[in-house]
Amino acid sequence: MKLRAIVLLGAVAAVCLVLLTLQMRGKAAGASDLLAVVTTPVQSALARLNRTTVGVWSTYREWKNVRAENRRLREEAQRLRVEALRVSEMVEENQRLRRLLALKAALPLTTLSGEVIAREWGGWVRSLTVNRGRADHVTRLSAVIAPDGLIGRVVDVRPGASIVQVLTDPASTVGALVVRTRTQGIVEGEPRGTLRLKFMARDGGGIQVGDLVVTSGAGGLFPRGIPVGRVRAIDDRGSALFSYAHLTPAVDFARIDEVLLIVGDGAHDVAALFPVPAN
Amino acid sequence: MRTFVVLAVFGGGVAHATLGPALRIADVAPDIPLIVVVLLALRRGPEFGCGAGFLAGLLQDAASGGLLGVQALTKAIIGFVIGAIGGRLRVSQPLVQVPGLVLLSIVEGLARFTLLKLFRFPAPFGELMTYVVLPQALYNGFLGAALVFALAWAESHRERVS
Repeated sequence: MKLRAIVLLGAVAAVCLVLLTLQMRGKAAGASDLLAVVTTPVQSALARLNRTTVGVWSTYREWKNVRAENRRLREEAQRLRVEALRVSEMVEENQRLRRLLALKAALPLTTLSGEVIAREWGGWVRSLTVNRGRADHVTRLSAVIAPDGLIGRVVDVRPGASIVQVLTDPASTVGALVVRTRTQGIVEGEPRGTLRLKFMARDGGGIQVGDLVVTSGAGGLFPRGIPVGRVRAIDDRGSALFSYAHLTPAVDFARIDEVLLIVGDGAHDVAALFPVPAN
Repeated sequence: MRTFVVLAVFGGGVAHATLGPALRIADVAPDIPLIVVVLLALRRGPEFGCGAGFLAGLLQDAASGGLLGVQALTKAIIGFVIGAIGGRLRVSQPLVQVPGLVLLSIVEGLARFTLLKLFRFPAPFGELMTYVVLPQALYNGFLGAALVFALAWAESHRERVS
């Protein structure tokens, strides 16, 4: 080993020991100050660099966290939207069923509640399929109603379902009367999905737009007083044998989900059980 | 190369107090200047190791606010010894590097403790060894081996390129 290296180590050791001794005696402040002049700017620069690096890293990590959080919240929001829709759907269904139940309880008739499981909405036939059939003692021509009014009649009974001919079906006819004028007539379905009241009366029989039309109970098929619709327009044909009043149906057939089937004797006046909304 | 050495010694000594905390694992920070001094001494011999150790230790003392000269002396001795006997050690193997650096760190810790004890350092030996010297020695061992590996890879890459 070189002598120079050993001398260097000895010198270094001597300098260190002298420094330590001087510091212990409180006389080496100058050396510390001198070194601080060199080290402090470098330390400041490194600290700035460190802060910047850590800052960039923290920002990146925060960004990643925010992105993950964002994704999670989006999924949560989507789930909650679906949940809210389901709840809202259930609330609506609950309200409909409550109304149906109230009507069922109030009616002096034997009724059976049913759920609409299919719809036929072409121009030729307008019908609903209800999940009540022969097993539930449903008979052909049973009247089908909803809390808002008349829907139609059962035209076909199957083992587990019934086909209900809706009032707007072109083949549907129902005996009806205008509540205000007591004008009797027949409500017919039209191919375009609307209803009209065909009646015999000179000069329109005093029928006005907005008049309520209910079942007349003639023939005993439908109970008397079930709302059918309101007069939307009058087609006065003067001295012709028949006049026509176009009706807006009391029931929105496209949106009906639950119905009541009248399975017993239908010879009753139930007009008082249907609330008549203001026109 | 000279710039690298200056940066390594100066940066190692000063950066330890500034950037070292960022490398903390479970409140244990590595002694980066010690690793740098060992690497330099292995490559450049005892004189360089001694000088680099003195400078790095002195700057470390100054940067950390401790007694000036303690780490300067211990690291100078470590640099000198490693520089002197490094040629006889097979330091290219990780199985030597890790335990070697662990051992060196413990020796440096013991030397520092002894030196400080001469100047009335109050900390108890057992706790200092358990909570400071040994964990730091382990950290130094693995970090040093990783640095050796990285340097070797960088050099071989440079040779391939040139």
